[in-house]
Amino acid sequence: MATTTAAVTLTSDLLSDNISVSASSTLMKAGTTADGLDMVDYGVIDIVTGDQFDLLDADNPSSSPIAGVMANKANKVYIANHATDETYYVTIMIDAQNVGRLYAGDWMFIPWGAEDANADIEITASTGTNKIEYALFHQGRTLDAS
Amino acid sequence: MATTCSVSITSDIAPGLGTINKSMTLTKAGTVTDLEETTGFSRRKLAATTAVDLITMANELVEPSDNTAAKVYVRNIGDGKGNIDKSQYVTISIGDTGGTPQEIGRLYGGDWLLMPLTVVDDKDVVAAPSTDNTVVLEYIMFFE
Repeated sequence: MATTTAAVTLTSDLLSDNISVSASSTLMKAGTTADGLDMVDYGVIDIVTGDQFDLLDADNPSSSPIAGVMANKANKVYIANHATDETYYVTIMIDAQNVGRLYAGDWMFIPWGAEDANADIEITASTGTNKIEYALFHQGRTLDAS
Repeated sequence: MATTCSVSITSDIAPGLGTINKSMTLTKAGTVTDLEETTGFSRRKLAATTAVDLITMANELVEPSDNTAAKVYVRNIGDGKGNIDKSQYVTISIGDTGGTPQEIGRLYGGDWLLMPLTVVDDKDVVAAPSTDNTVVLEYIMFFE
């Protein structure tokens, strides 16, 4: 079984008593305890100011009989903005709905429903060139026919 | 006053994939000034499939600044008594329960997320369990 583990540590001294939270999760296929997610798409790409791009496409070939094999599974997505200018950010959207901004140095880790063909993870840079690292852990998808 | 979040992802899916490590300090939008506001760490027990607001943006005591650098952490800790069911999930969405919130994805037992938020009113953090079985979510939001 492939094993992928995602761990987070969160510390904060905003409150009178410090917060320290740690969590670790082994990324499993949907609804199982025996099979780990065993596929990954990983990349680093420059996102320049201007257009909105599909960073991750929820749509397997729409005409394929096995379209939507990623839909409603246990996909996980990691995205980090490696820009160094603190004024730079990228806006993350899903199906044209604004999720939030990843400023320089920020990262995010989410489950991704990819529930239909429109549920792409979209990205737009506000200023300059933002170097984006991303990883999609999943249990299978189809490629577009050439 | 600082808040830091570190992630470590290790995988043997592919040789050489190695480990992803990244740490961030939560700062205000476009600055290196630390975020100073938080909802505090909370837990919420759910026992129905009805979608509920985990965090209602319009109800924050101090109106958060919209479209800045807010972040939220949510974890599905199972039934809250140490039992984690990997087959049960909570769908996390962003939006208004009275409308059609945009799904982010499914948090299965033990899974967690950390993501940015717009904190715009009606862009609430919405949780909908997959079954009527008890499930507990831990969560905290940091904002401006």
